[in-house]
This record gives sequence, structure tokens and C-alpha cells, in this order.
Amino acid sequence: MANEPDRRRSVMSLAIQACALKVALNGRSVLRGIDLRISAGRWTCVVGPNGAGKSTLLKALAGLLPVTGEVLWQGQSLANLSRQQRALQLSWLGQGESAALDLRVFDVVMLGRLPHQSWLAAPSAHDLAMVEAALKSTQAWAWCDRTLGELSGGERQRVLLARVLAGNAPLMLMDEPLANLDPPHQVDWLEQVLCLRSVSTTVVSVLHEIGMALHADDIVVMREGQVIHHGPAMDAQTHQAIEAVFERRIRIVPLQGQWLVLPRI
Amino acid sequence: MNLRWSALSWSLALLLLGLLGVLGGTAVGSQGVEMWWLGSPDPVVQHIIWDIRLPRSLGAWLGGALLGLAGAVAQGLFRNPLADPYLLGSASGASLGVSLYVSLLGGSVMAVGWLPRLGMTGAAFGGAVLAVMVTLFLARGVQQTVRLLLAGVVVGVVLGALASLVALMSPQVMQAMQGFLLGSTAFIGWSACALMALALGVCLSGSWALSRVLDALTLGESTAQSLGVPLPQARLLLVGFLSLATGAAVAQMGLIAFVGLAAPHAVRSLVRCTHAGLLVLSAWMGAALLLMADVLARSLMAPQEMPVGVLTAILGGAYLLWRMNRIGAGRS
Amino acid sequence: MLERWMQLLILALSLALTCSAAQGITVWDDRQQAVVLAKPAQRIVSLLPSLTETVCALGQCAKLVGVDRYSNWPDSVKSLPRMGGGIDPNIESIVAQKPDLVLLAGSTRGIERLQSLGITVLSLEPRTHSDVKRAVLTIAQALGLTPTEGERVWREIDTGVETAVQSLSAQARLQRVYLEVSPTPYGASESSFMGETLLRMGVRNILPAALGPFPQINPEWVVRAQPDVILAGDSSRQSLLKRPGWAQLRAVQQDRICVFSQDQSDVVMRAGPRMAEGARWIAQCLNRTARGTP
Repeated sequence: MANEPDRRRSVMSLAIQACALKVALNGRSVLRGIDLRISAGRWTCVVGPNGAGKSTLLKALAGLLPVTGEVLWQGQSLANLSRQQRALQLSWLGQGESAALDLRVFDVVMLGRLPHQSWLAAPSAHDLAMVEAALKSTQAWAWCDRTLGELSGGERQRVLLARVLAGNAPLMLMDEPLANLDPPHQVDWLEQVLCLRSVSTTVVSVLHEIGMALHADDIVVMREGQVIHHGPAMDAQTHQAIEAVFERRIRIVPLQGQWLVLPRI
Repeated sequence: MNLRWSALSWSLALLLLGLLGVLGGTAVGSQGVEMWWLGSPDPVVQHIIWDIRLPRSLGAWLGGALLGLAGAVAQGLFRNPLADPYLLGSASGASLGVSLYVSLLGGSVMAVGWLPRLGMTGAAFGGAVLAVMVTLFLARGVQQTVRLLLAGVVVGVVLGALASLVALMSPQVMQAMQGFLLGSTAFIGWSACALMALALGVCLSGSWALSRVLDALTLGESTAQSLGVPLPQARLLLVGFLSLATGAAVAQMGLIAFVGLAAPHAVRSLVRCTHAGLLVLSAWMGAALLLMADVLARSLMAPQEMPVGVLTAILGGAYLLWRMNRIGAGRS
Repeated sequence: MLERWMQLLILALSLALTCSAAQGITVWDDRQQAVVLAKPAQRIVSLLPSLTETVCALGQCAKLVGVDRYSNWPDSVKSLPRMGGGIDPNIESIVAQKPDLVLLAGSTRGIERLQSLGITVLSLEPRTHSDVKRAVLTIAQALGLTPTEGERVWREIDTGVETAVQSLSAQARLQRVYLEVSPTPYGASESSFMGETLLRMGVRNILPAALGPFPQINPEWVVRAQPDVILAGDSSRQSLLKRPGWAQLRAVQQDRICVFSQDQSDVVMRAGPRMAEGARWIAQCLNRTARGTP
């Protein structure tokens, strides 16, 4: 990795830091010793082939898996943070988990405010405002009263995104957030993330769409449970690392100030 | 049904239905339907109404509420619309308790004096609670839902087989088991009502306090965890409330099917609400269902009584069939 | 001085207690628990057929105000209101009859419910000959009959059984018997009620007591044991021949099968006052099969 990016990273605050992170699932080693430093206020994308351990890495960073090694948020070890504190700092969007077909859209998004509410209290005016804002930003406000079961896959995904946005946490971890989204809404999501970044929210996402991932600030390239490369998305070295990890079946070319992913046939 | 009442309106409506049902239940008895409020009845009839029919109808309402609540908790906890209160093996545990109790009673004169005092209710309740504990032990805690479900099925099947084995040993047990398996409100007195009311109070308020946990669980276990929900403790408590409610109902009434399964579905078809409303409305809905089934059971073939479990199966099954039809028609 | 007063007080108390006890009747049920009646029972509900028959055998049929649906002897009880069965007694009907004593088996449901409604409950479930004697004497006492009355009725029954036992020919006594209770097949072993009657007759039962009173028997066992006589109900008779290997049984080939009708099975199976009649029927059957005439 180049020296300059390193120095840059050490000067800015670290949102997430992983030290010698190892995760074993069902006796099989999935993450083999990962050291990662993700800076605050930047958007980082994790890419890699299937089975590289991307989702596992994200879950480990979110503190949702038992790990060997240490995970630190804003310099504090996860183990020292209470459940409530963790929920206030992190919003998590998982992959294909939900079965909430009978819940109303409004109630689903309100669940994102759960860490901010005291146990038996009714939602406050601020909660209601946040939910409304979140639903409007994903263009789902019209479906307030419908149940999730009545929506299509893409519509459901937008509601779940709104839930994450409503939580308004400084750290957002999203696993395959573009699942089922059509191109216009994928672009919507992109704009939202760029907007979040502008208010210093740290976003870490796992994406299969390399083209979208290249809009991020930093890219983490993974293979077989290890981080192969971690660097800015603009760097040529990052592009080479991505092409290498996908066995050089793709190439990344510039086009009008953005990056295009083309098959190498 | 195009009525879009709020959860509160439905709550009041169901409670009113329950009240009417209890009153109606006092009018139905061994002599068929009699409107005792017109004209002054003799003291024996008064005694029957106050000491037999009233606690029985109230008991049916309370038992139905317990089963409806347990069904809603089970469906939320396991995120499975087919879950019912007997999922963790409590039904088979209660059956085993009853069969052991009757077989031990039928043996030589018991030196153990506490056994008759325990009564069939105590045996059924103890059996149900023990079965759930065995399930929890086998599943090694409440952490993994699939493991819990599997353990519940295993325990249910094994204990049920053991109960059949005990019943085989003496024919009188088989008869008693038949009666227990069909379910009946006939033996509910005021003390039984008090017990069920206490159980309902504890379970309803406790589950209601944890309703947000159930809501969060619908989004997936990881998401619920990330929202700061104390998942292991909450799940253990919810399993506790589930077994307490089921055990209390089964102990007093025997095994009554479908109430716990159908009540939450009926509520969801009427109103959309979070679990806070769903739990309470399922309780009132289950209460109304069982009460109506009980009144029908007593009046259809008066003075003979149909076993109420048969009626709830028919009514509940018919309702679910209707729902399936509507869902099928809607999708096509 | 104080001691004197204490002694007088104790004397007075014990006198009072014995007086009250003398006015009431105390009987003991199957669980050795005391049941106290203020006066002899006048309105009786019976939920067990053998107990119904016992009340009538003591000549107190008129005091019955309700019976269970399975009581069918004597004919007069058939017109009495039905209170349900052992597993589903109709609490309301029972209470509506205002009984001062309810007779039922220990395994009947709802005993606590009836007691909580203030009804006196006496639980007796005769399963052996001595149980029947105890039931007769206990019910006689509860009905206010003199002990000699109860004893007389029991002696009648006992003598009847003894006569039936004596009536067995020597040949009949040598036979080995298989008694089938239901076509599953459930058999009656030596430890059942009928088994006891057979034992008293000196006849051997192919099902030993160790198997429990009504074991569900493997049909193979019966084929191995080769009984000389089969006693079975009507429904069993149909399925007997269809069982593999049974058509070759000595008892089947020589038609040494005694079939009892539903009424007869009530008499034979119930551990009640008609046991003498049941014993007579069995003895007649065994004599018949010993002679070789069907």
C-alpha cells in the first residue's frame, strides 16, 4: 500500500478497527487473522469472490458474531460497550433475513428508532419526524400503511433501507443493500450514501456490483478469509487487486470521470 | 372484511363479545337453554348458575385467552405462522403427567398422601412444565430457534409415546386419557378461575412488556441483536410465559386444539398492528373463540355435552380453510 | 383445683365428640380416607355400574336419583336420569339432583369439583372379590343399614359363588382357560377379577398374574399355550378364526368356545354383586366344554 494513504488514515479518527480478527463457523475457519482500519466519515466497500467471508467480516465488525481478536469502535473495545450503546452507534442491514410480512411499513421503520426509545415509551415526536424523513428519502412514504407482504422485493428493500436511515447512527453496515433494486433505485441508494458521507456517517457495505462499489472512498478486497488489499477506490493498485481477485475475468476502465467494469472476453 | 377499525376498537368489541358469551354461558346447561333472568328461579338453579355455569363460562374465557396469548407468543418467537402453544412438547408432557397420575392412583392404596391432593390439574401442569424444561435442556438453551423447535418435536413425540405406553398398561388410564385429550371446561370452579386469571395477568403483562422484542425478531435475529435487544434473556422469559400460559390452560381444561393457532391469524386478518396489540387481541380473540365453542358444545346436544375440543377443531379448521381459500384466490 | 377443672373439661369434650360421632356415619373409601355423613344417605347418585348394582342388591334402589350412562341393571335404573360417564360426569346434572352422596370410582374425573361444591363423595372401585365385600359393607353402612344386613347380602353373594365353584365337574376343573376381553386382543389374567373367580374354581389361566390384570397379549402366546377352553365376547368370536394359527387350536377345532353376549359380559366382568351369577355362567360353560358338547 502507498505511504500517503496510510498517513492520511492515521491522522483521521478510526471508526472501526479490527485486530487479529479470527472467526470460525461450524468448526471451519472463515476469517483468518484480519487487521483492518476503517476511517470515520468515509464510505468503504468490501468486495471479493463468493465464499471470501465478506458477510462474516461485516457481522464480526458489527459485533454480531463471537470472535477471536479485538474489534474497536471509535477506539473503544466492543466488549466494553453495553448493548444499548452499541445499538446507538451502529445500524445494521442484513442480507435476506426478514420475514416480517405482517408488519406495517411504518412500524418496520419505527423499529429503527428502537435504540433511541426507552423500554415501554411511546414514540416521541422526534422519532416520528425521523421515520417520516427516512421513508421520504427512499420514496416509500406512500406505503406507510401497507404491510411488507404486499410489496415487491425491491420495494421491501427500500423500506428496510429506510429503517437503517431512521436509526441515524454514525456507523452503518450494510450487506448487499442493492438486492432486488432496479437501476433508478440503485442510483438513489448511491446518492443517499454520498449524502450520508457528507454528514460524516461511516458506511461500510458489501457489494457484488463492482461498478457501484467503485464509487466508494475505499475498497477492501477479500479472498478466502483474508484481506488482500485495502486502498482508495481511485488507485490503480486497487483496480489491479480487484481484477486479480476475480481471476482477471474483468477489467476496469475509466469513462467520463467514473469507472466501468467490463468483461474480458 | 373492509372494516378498518383500530386495534383499540377491536379490543373493546372482543371484550364485549366475551362478556355476552359469559352471560350466554350461564343460560345454557343440562336442561338446554333457559333464560333465567326472566322469572325467579328456585335456589338450586341459582346455585347451579352461580357456582357451576358462571365459573365454567368465565373459565372458558380465561382458558381461551391463555391459549390465544400463548399462540401469538409462539408464532412471534419462532417466526412461524404454524406455531401453536403446544410446540415445545407441553401437550405431551401434560398427557404423560395425567396418565402417570391415574395409573398410580389405580394401584394399591397409596402411601404417598400428597398424590390425591395434587389432583389431575397439578399432574397436568407439572408434566407440561417438565416437558418444556427437557426441551430447553435438549436444545441447550433458547439460542437457536431451529434447535428449539426440533427438540420440542422430539420431546413431544417421545413423551406422547410414553404416555401411550402407560395407558396401555391399564385400560382405566386409557379412558381417562381420552377424556383429557378431548378437553372440557366441565370441571372449572372458582379456584381454577382464580388460578387462570393470575396466570393470564402475569403472562399478558410480561409478554406485552416484551412485545418490542417480538417485533424486532420479525426482522431477523441479527437485526434484532443489532437493535440492542437483549435476545437471550428476552427469549428465555418469553418461553417461560409461553409454558406458564399453556400449562395453566391445559391443566384446567385438557388439550384443546386450534385456539392458539387460529386466534393470532384471525386477529391479523382484521387489523394490522405490532405485537403489542397482537398479543392482547389474540388473547381476547382466543377467549371469545373458546367461549363460543363451549356454549355451542353445551347447547347443541343438550343435555349431552360435546367435547369442546371437537368443536374448536371443526370451527378452527373451517376458518383456516376459508383463509387458505381467500389467500389462494387473492394470489391468482 | 385447676387439675380437677381440666379433667372435667377433657371429659366433657370427649363426651361431646363421641356424641357427635355417634350421630354421624363415618365410612372409609378406597384411599383409606374418612367420609362423614350427617345421616344415612337418602338421595344417591352412582357413577359406576357395579356400585349401582350394589345399592340395588342391598334393596335400596329407591334411593337412587341418578346413574351413569353405563348402569343398566336392574331394569328400574334404566329410567333414571343419566349423569354422564366416568370420564365425563355432568357436574350440573349431578348438582341439580341434590344428592347427599355420590358413589364413584377413584379414577372418575371431577371428584375435587364435586367436593368443592359441597357434595359428599365416596370413591370405591371394586376390583377383587374382597373389594366387592368391602364395597357392599361400606355402602350398607353409608345407607344406614345395620351391619348384619350388609353381612347378610354379602353372604348371599359369597354362597352363590361357592355353589358355582362346587358345581364344577372334576373334568371341567382340569381345563386350562383363556379369557379374552376384547379383540385387540386383550386377555384377562389371574390378577383380574374374572381371573380370581377362575382361581377360586381351581381352573388354570394361561395368562399368569405377572402380566398385569388385562395384558395386550401377542396372539402367538395363546397358540403356544394351547388352552382347552376359550371364553370370549361376541366381537372377539368373529376375529378369532382369522388370526394366523388359531384355526388349528385344539379349543377352536373342538369348538370349546364359550361366547358371552353383551349382557352376559356385564355380569361376568363387573366386580359387583352379580358375581355369583357370573361364576355360575362360567361354571356352566366349563362343564359344557368338558363334556364335549358345544
